[in-house]
Amino acid sequence: MNVEWIHPGLLLILGAWVLPFLKGRAKQAAMLILPGAALIDCLLMTPGTYGVTSLLGQDVVFGRADSLSLIFSYVFSLLALLGMIYALHVDDDTQHVAALTYAGGALGVTFAGDFLSLYVFWELMAISSALLVWLGRERSAVAAGFRYLLVHVFGGLILLAGIIIHWSQTGSLAFGDMEAFSGGLGWALILTAFLLNAAVPPLGAWLPDAYPQATVTGAVFMTAFTTKSAVYVLIRGFPGTDLLIWLGAAMAIYGVVYAVLENDARRLLAYHIISQVGYMVCGVGIGTELAINGATAHAFAHILYKALLFMGAGAVLQMTGRRKLNEMGGLYKTMPLTLGLYMIGGFAISAVPLFSGFVSKSMVVSAAGEEHLGAVFLMLTLASAGTFLHTGLKLPYYMFFGREACRPGGPERVEGREPPRNMLVAMALAAVACILLGVLPETFYRHLPYFSDYVPYTLQHVTNALGMLSFTALGFFLLLKHLDPEPTISLDTDWFYRRGSTGLMKLIKGPLTRLEYGFVGEIYEFAIQRPVLGIAERLRRFDSRIVDSSLVGVGRLTRSLGLVLKPAISGQTQHYGLIMAVGILALVALVVFAL
Amino acid sequence: MSFLERQLEDPVRFARLKRWFYIGLAVVVLVEIVLPRLFHADHAHFPFENFPAWGALYGFVSCVAIIVVSKLIGKWWLMRPEDHYGDPDEDRDD
Repeated sequence: MNVEWIHPGLLLILGAWVLPFLKGRAKQAAMLILPGAALIDCLLMTPGTYGVTSLLGQDVVFGRADSLSLIFSYVFSLLALLGMIYALHVDDDTQHVAALTYAGGALGVTFAGDFLSLYVFWELMAISSALLVWLGRERSAVAAGFRYLLVHVFGGLILLAGIIIHWSQTGSLAFGDMEAFSGGLGWALILTAFLLNAAVPPLGAWLPDAYPQATVTGAVFMTAFTTKSAVYVLIRGFPGTDLLIWLGAAMAIYGVVYAVLENDARRLLAYHIISQVGYMVCGVGIGTELAINGATAHAFAHILYKALLFMGAGAVLQMTGRRKLNEMGGLYKTMPLTLGLYMIGGFAISAVPLFSGFVSKSMVVSAAGEEHLGAVFLMLTLASAGTFLHTGLKLPYYMFFGREACRPGGPERVEGREPPRNMLVAMALAAVACILLGVLPETFYRHLPYFSDYVPYTLQHVTNALGMLSFTALGFFLLLKHLDPEPTISLDTDWFYRRGSTGLMKLIKGPLTRLEYGFVGEIYEFAIQRPVLGIAERLRRFDSRIVDSSLVGVGRLTRSLGLVLKPAISGQTQHYGLIMAVGILALVALVVFAL
Repeated sequence: MSFLERQLEDPVRFARLKRWFYIGLAVVVLVEIVLPRLFHADHAHFPFENFPAWGALYGFVSCVAIIVVSKLIGKWWLMRPEDHYGDPDEDRDD
């Protein structure tokens, strides 16, 4: 490995193990220095290929740095830094180590130039992020963590199978554009594994199942890495795959529909991750330079505003202990700063002009327009209205305003106060990033994979967006009564493994058990147990008659020999000396006369 | 009492806020209809985008459609009580 190149992912993964040995201020400093150093490392990196080693006759490339991997690495390491600031007050080393390992894994995937190193970091992400769910430490979190891990282990196995098939067919492990292998089994398996991590329905139910159960600070990391590293590998491997256009557009709407029904604040936001990743997947599918730029830019902007939104909802959860919308309300009086910062994230995700979502989302939508994909254009625009409806209106309304503002003297007041300062600082930094991206799009676009002369702020775009947003708000206020959150959960494809597994357990406990004890057990006894017992009986007899009696014979022989020799052990030194002298003389005689 | 609290809790001020919201909507529609015609510099990708106040119209329709359709699907099919998969705080061994 080139000593001049330090892998930012390994820096985080190995550096994380320093934290348990530090205390107090030193630990907090290390928590900031590690992701800060990784960020600087990424920012200083110039395009090129680094960290090439050879394994199994294949080149393993740990550092493929080009414009695409670099921009993802910037935002991944920046988010690791923001997340660590947000988690600075948490006294739980396991969480910090898991979070940094997770971030390191995402950077590893980003810089991986071959399938082997990609796979290793891919699995590392699955395991470390499952830890962040388990560390929620509630019974429901542990169960959700197991479901999360099982789904990702399944996805990892699909990926591994795909890689092995691809390797055996092409003889190469290099990871690049897969278009040449389109339609093959290896291609399909790898694509499926990537889509699973991007939470594309019907493979995406793990996301809203697990994310709301993660720890307050852990969830911030989870929103960024798994789905967006999947978007990165899709851009890298599958640009222009038509299937993705429709999957992405459907996904954008699917997330919005579920968000209408959702009552858990963080799960509602989780469904909007699926919706937003839909835009990126769609952009990858369209595959033009504008669309790929849009998918990349949207991933970048999304990571920042979604983290900000999860930070806001997490702050409310931490300070009030409430996660369900039907139990919240009126918090704007006690948590005005949190509200303000949350709203910046809400405006950014809703693509309000001057916020980051506006300059990134419109690239994907315009790309659909340029390719004359009318239906996709309409679907994405509709999902956009849904995004503002939920993240910008419904969630803040029920969380921060709600009953108290509308109906004075409603149910008991929800007690709350502003979260610790470090959480507010992290939110403020994310908010500044959301605004900067929206105000200075040219600077942002310069780092995209392709050259871009796209202009987001045209008269039509801006007036269109304002009209759409304000009339979505009108629709919201008119239908407000029908939107009251209800204490329910929604069926999703996780039904198949949550209910399906119950059915499987019944099958196992009923018919399979009977089959086992009744039929298989009988055969086993007849075919194996009895012959084995018969042989064992014969062996036992052999053992007791021959082996044992020979051992007894040896014992008896030793004893009688001992009796014979007993008189020689007189306990007097001169006798022993005499015997030794005789022995030495006998030896000397033997040597002298025999040789 | 903070500024926001005064605006929301006082019925007179709240009514005024509401009025400003509706005025704002009207302005937005006017701007969307008039400005592109005055400057007509942009080109639209699809003919339907040239419909007057297309953004406002489609935004409103989308919002209502999303709420109504999702709620219907939810009521008929997807929404279940919270203990649908068993109470998460109890042992599931039976």
